[in-house]
Amino acid sequence: MNKVYIFLIVIITIFLSGCVTKRYAWNNYDDTLYQYYKNPNEAEVFIEKLDAIIKNGEVSGTVPPGIYAEYGYTFYERGQYSDAIIYFQKEYDKWPESRSFMIKMISNAKNQNKIKDQKTSDTIPTQ
Amino acid sequence: MQVLKKFIILLSIMMTASCAVQKDYSKFRAANLRSILIVPVVNRSVDVTAPEYFLSTISIPVAEQGYYVFPVNLVKRVLEDDGLSDADLVHSAPTSKLCDLFGADAVLYVSIERWDAQYMIVTTQVTVDLIYTIKDGKTGDTLWEDHQTMVYSPQSNQNSGSPMATLIVMAVQAAITKADPNYLPLAQQANAKAFTYPGHGIPPGPYATPIATPNTTPNTTPTQ
Repeated sequence: MNKVYIFLIVIITIFLSGCVTKRYAWNNYDDTLYQYYKNPNEAEVFIEKLDAIIKNGEVSGTVPPGIYAEYGYTFYERGQYSDAIIYFQKEYDKWPESRSFMIKMISNAKNQNKIKDQKTSDTIPTQ
Repeated sequence: MQVLKKFIILLSIMMTASCAVQKDYSKFRAANLRSILIVPVVNRSVDVTAPEYFLSTISIPVAEQGYYVFPVNLVKRVLEDDGLSDADLVHSAPTSKLCDLFGADAVLYVSIERWDAQYMIVTTQVTVDLIYTIKDGKTGDTLWEDHQTMVYSPQSNQNSGSPMATLIVMAVQAAITKADPNYLPLAQQANAKAFTYPGHGIPPGPYATPIATPNTTPNTTPTQ
């Protein structure tokens, strides 16, 4: 019987040791994204939580890969292109692997910004 | 005691099953990956919500293995803007094209084979069945693949003495599980098993070497 318990303890330790420390401060990123897909109307919650993950991760220097870009895109979607660029740039600076993608996203955001500016300058004279 | 024995037998089967075949990592190592692009998931299950829900579980295990993981939601949106809103289309596109689009070293494809809850008189069986494939962005070769099936059925631990009462408790639990099956823990277990088990998962990536865990709490070990 003792052997059985030892065997169990060993197995449980192996399982536990696998999930003790995480490299990054995910802060329930999986659940955050899940909730967003489940309730797409509650985008503000998603945005707030991404912001919290970033703030929390910056304290320990363990912001997970992709999070700055994901957060930046929430600005992009709302037409806040300058804010989007700030976070795409942060992703670019932190992760060399993201650079070619982030260059594209930044240039997209700049183009969108120009279009937006043109639209607003077009409408101003008529008012 | 019976339960304990069953548990041990089940565990040993699982262990041997996953350790029986040591994978060939020569191609994976040679590819020297730094980043992995996770594209939208193909759905062969009957549940239309499965692909998005699953997508939320997959970044963490891959990134924790030490790879740069592209933001899954942003990637999904960019692909949709490029006319690739259908995951089957994405999966049939050349790997090298996808990698060029994002500057990725490799692509992780996941196919959901099963994602369902079956009512079985006194218990509900929740099943998640997933196929994972990582392909090289340069050669298009398959570097790694895995198949995981996870099954969960709630067990009633209470032995009230009365078999009827136990049966009722089980039936209620089964109904609850059926009404709102929670697939995420199963998907997370499947991912953990697929990616992190030694001799079976994916080898550690470039960010895995220095175990960077400067916690928010001050380090107790003296650093000199």
